[in-house]
Amino acid sequence: MNGSDPRLIKPVLASVLTVLLLSLPWLTSDYFVMMTIRIMYFGLLTMSLCYLAGELGLVSLMQAAFFGIAGYFVAILQTRYSLPFPIPPLAGIGVAVLAAGLFGLLAIKAKGVYFLMLTLVLGQLVWALASQWASMTKGDSGITGIYAPVLFGFSAEKSKTVFYFFQLFAFSGVVWFLAALKRSPFGLMLRGVRDSETRMAMLGYPVMLLRYLAFIFAALVAAVGGVFFAYFTGLINPHSVSLTANVEALMASILGGINTLFGAVLGTGILKTLDVVLSGVTERYVLVMGVMFLVIIMFAPKGIAGSARQIWEAYKGKMLSFLALGNKTAKP
Amino acid sequence: MAKGKFAVLLTAVMFFATVGTVSAVDEIRVGTIGPTTGWATIFGEGALQGVKLALAERDYKFNGIPIKLFSEDTKADVEVMVTKLGSLKNRDKVHFIIGPSLGHEGMAAVDWGARNPDTPMLIGYSAPEDITMRKATYSVVRPGWTGAQVIFNFGQYCAKDLGYKKIIIVGQDYSYPWDQAAGFIRGFLENGGEEVLRIWHPVEAVDFSSIMARLASLSGEYDAVLNNSGGAQVVAFFKQWKQFGLDKKYPQILGQANVPIVSMLPELGDQALGVYSSLHYYDGNPSKANQKFREDFKKAYGHYPDVIAMQGYDAMRVAFKAMEALNGKVDDPKAFVEAVRKVKMSNAESPRGPFYFDSFGNPIQNIYIKKVVKKDGKLMNIAVKTYENVSQFGPYANMAQKYMAGPATTRDYPPGKKAEYFAEIEKWFGKDYVKNLKKNGGWK
Amino acid sequence: MFLVKMCILNGFTLAALLFIVASGLTLSFSLMRVVNLSHGAFYLAGGFVGLSVLNASGSWLLAIGVAGIAIAVLALVEERFFLRWARGNDLIETLVSLSIAIIIGDLVLVIWGGYPKTIKIPEMLSGAVEIPILVVYYPVYRLFMLAMALVLGGGLWLFLKKTNLGITIRAGVDNFNMVAALGFNVKRIFTMVFALSGFLAGAAGVVGGTLMMLVVGEDWRILTLTLIVIIIGGLGSLIGTAVGALITGLAYSFATAYIPEFSLFILFLPVAVILSIRPQGLFGKEAA
Repeated sequence: MNGSDPRLIKPVLASVLTVLLLSLPWLTSDYFVMMTIRIMYFGLLTMSLCYLAGELGLVSLMQAAFFGIAGYFVAILQTRYSLPFPIPPLAGIGVAVLAAGLFGLLAIKAKGVYFLMLTLVLGQLVWALASQWASMTKGDSGITGIYAPVLFGFSAEKSKTVFYFFQLFAFSGVVWFLAALKRSPFGLMLRGVRDSETRMAMLGYPVMLLRYLAFIFAALVAAVGGVFFAYFTGLINPHSVSLTANVEALMASILGGINTLFGAVLGTGILKTLDVVLSGVTERYVLVMGVMFLVIIMFAPKGIAGSARQIWEAYKGKMLSFLALGNKTAKP
Repeated sequence: MAKGKFAVLLTAVMFFATVGTVSAVDEIRVGTIGPTTGWATIFGEGALQGVKLALAERDYKFNGIPIKLFSEDTKADVEVMVTKLGSLKNRDKVHFIIGPSLGHEGMAAVDWGARNPDTPMLIGYSAPEDITMRKATYSVVRPGWTGAQVIFNFGQYCAKDLGYKKIIIVGQDYSYPWDQAAGFIRGFLENGGEEVLRIWHPVEAVDFSSIMARLASLSGEYDAVLNNSGGAQVVAFFKQWKQFGLDKKYPQILGQANVPIVSMLPELGDQALGVYSSLHYYDGNPSKANQKFREDFKKAYGHYPDVIAMQGYDAMRVAFKAMEALNGKVDDPKAFVEAVRKVKMSNAESPRGPFYFDSFGNPIQNIYIKKVVKKDGKLMNIAVKTYENVSQFGPYANMAQKYMAGPATTRDYPPGKKAEYFAEIEKWFGKDYVKNLKKNGGWK
Repeated sequence: MFLVKMCILNGFTLAALLFIVASGLTLSFSLMRVVNLSHGAFYLAGGFVGLSVLNASGSWLLAIGVAGIAIAVLALVEERFFLRWARGNDLIETLVSLSIAIIIGDLVLVIWGGYPKTIKIPEMLSGAVEIPILVVYYPVYRLFMLAMALVLGGGLWLFLKKTNLGITIRAGVDNFNMVAALGFNVKRIFTMVFALSGFLAGAAGVVGGTLMMLVVGEDWRILTLTLIVIIIGGLGSLIGTAVGALITGLAYSFATAYIPEFSLFILFLPVAVILSIRPQGLFGKEAA
């Protein structure tokens, strides 16, 4: 086998990753599995933000609202109305998508910083509802007692491993969906809109509709994350839809690289690990995060994944030839 | 070689002979959790300081076994809290956890506790009643208080001793103030009060001016106003109260449990003079335990402690008493919880006074009606009346199941008008109860 | 009737505070196209600086002045060393201001602690007076705030209309490249406007801290309110900011009196309504 063939690198990496992910519960501790589960549901939230940023060039500060709406509906439908399993998550995602349809009408006309500001305010509106519509949401104390379902005879509540696999399945599905969406004609048109809206409009593309649909797809991704969040933690409260939650999602995406899906997961992984590690070390956790955020925006606005790719692109030739050196002599 | 082994054996035998029983652990691992960064820092930090003070009193040792403290930060975010509870349990392998301070954190913690019954938890300042009522779980004990527990008797006091008939409650719109209002209404209406009007505002109100205007327009009908919020909202409320001249229209403000706590007094200033409230602890308590706690705390941290710090201190001291009963065998969670639930603290042991646990794991303790006075130029709370051995069910201690069967407290349950209220309690507590109330003119 | 009169007065006086905070933000936006998300943190830090100055000197006016200047310096540093770095990419600039807001917020917690604080109302402005036509007693301090906002609004208007710098700024709003091409030192104008915006935020912190309280977390609440005001009014318009502040102030004060449970939610309603009719805000220019 020729390990140096550049065309082989991707599939090899992908299969190594797949094997790793599938065997994770047996390779590592319960604790590590728990962290991976967290990174996956928050990763979906971050991805939702990154998808909008990458495809539309718009930074949203309200994706956590859709994440939270789905979580809240799972909680309410399950604990209050005791509806059987597939209904709460499906309805939760459905309502989140509907909400995106509604908010999208208001937000989608805005561009650039104006969009960011507007989504901040709309996100706060959802937060105000979550904390004030107390008869439904139980206000600031939030809803507890959400239990993960039993699927195909396996209880996701009792076993973290089972939960992990269900989530891994859904997570991979969403990643595949987003990747496919990016490559589809729809994705190409969107990028056209991002790069030159007027040109696309002149060519007769329904620019507004395209942006609107992208907004709804992004909300869908966040909503899936919210469902797993509610099931895994067993609770939901207004913090999940707060400005802090939105800013953290933004931080994660900036950290990893706002234009790529891989960056979204990477950034979430780093942020959520720091979350647990750093705050044990220093009480100035928030300050450290703020400074880190600032440094990354100023010096590596493409994030870690973006910068790594840049370095890779710049030195790709050299690295490949270095890797291939041994084989070249062997092969005529 | 053989000689060395013999020496070890000998010392071991001598050690056990002196100690009496086998100590199973060589290190006691204690976890604490609470918000120590972000806006809620004061709650987590206060409780942690209390825990550390109690540990320092014993030099971080129990019968020579070193105690290791693992403290985790929640950032006031329950998702983070649940994750960190997992860290404490799985990574740090703590023997027990001293739980969170905020209300929503407590509810999430008891939910976690029910799923992780092998990790004992002692919850401190967090006050929702369901932690030790409808959601109570054996492994979670609360050496703290519930919102309603400390205020039942305040309602009674306002009706009986202060002679008010109609009261307005202005509070933040979430479960803790609802519980406070509910407890107050029960005490007030069952002891001769006629009506309680509740005005709810957002947890973080921007401006109170229009509420003040409404209070001014209602001043002819109502006798007094009870401020039912916490922290910064209290400061703003008191301030605008004076600006709108309400101090001339009503007598002193009444406060819910933690309105005039130590940390608030300097900001409220003389505005706080004469404010009545009720709690299971008051800073002016002359008992030796309280004076020692206050002075030691001041020496360690430079300021006087709040009830928040007292909760951390007491939780750790309850744990110590349980360890004493078990002789340090903290590695059996079930036995440890059992020992904790049996702990009785005396007036000489706890700054708040004597207390012991009911079958749900919440203390039966003294409730003090407090009044803010000035002593040596400093504002402090003194107790004008003490109600002894009050349970979390207050006057319904022997009807606990009926109390819990009733609807949960909401922003407008129980009803605030006397007639409706009595019709409602008749449904849950029976005709005889209401008849007795009317005959006795209130609680005995 | 009494309640209605009071609500109107409350609405106007709350609007005064909102206008003082929001005018700074709208000023810096109109020129630089940056939504300065550290504006709320400026407000909070200003309030706390004022509190310390008041405790040390006993003078409330000095507290306002020093707080304003301190925050103006802070804003100057932010503009000169951080925002200028990213000039041209307004999104990056906005994110930089967001991270600075986070940093300032935590520094405030380190320096002044997490307990709520309040600034004492100066003796001269405490108490209440009777307002002639409406025949109600009303707090002097709130009326003072209203006067302050009117003076500030008038002053800013004159500044933008009559002074050379103001005219340059207005021209910059309309056609930025033209102004630069005419040889004005745009960099310096940016810095000055940003510092002025910081001054207003810092001073507003003292005014607001005197009216209510100061506490960690207030920075984000104030920022949200300010954004509501300028989204309603339209970005970059001084008159829009005044109108936006009035709508927000009145909506909040009436909601607090009649449906207090939903007062926070009601605040967002005008935003939704106005956006669906006029996406650029009441007085905003097309395509911000």
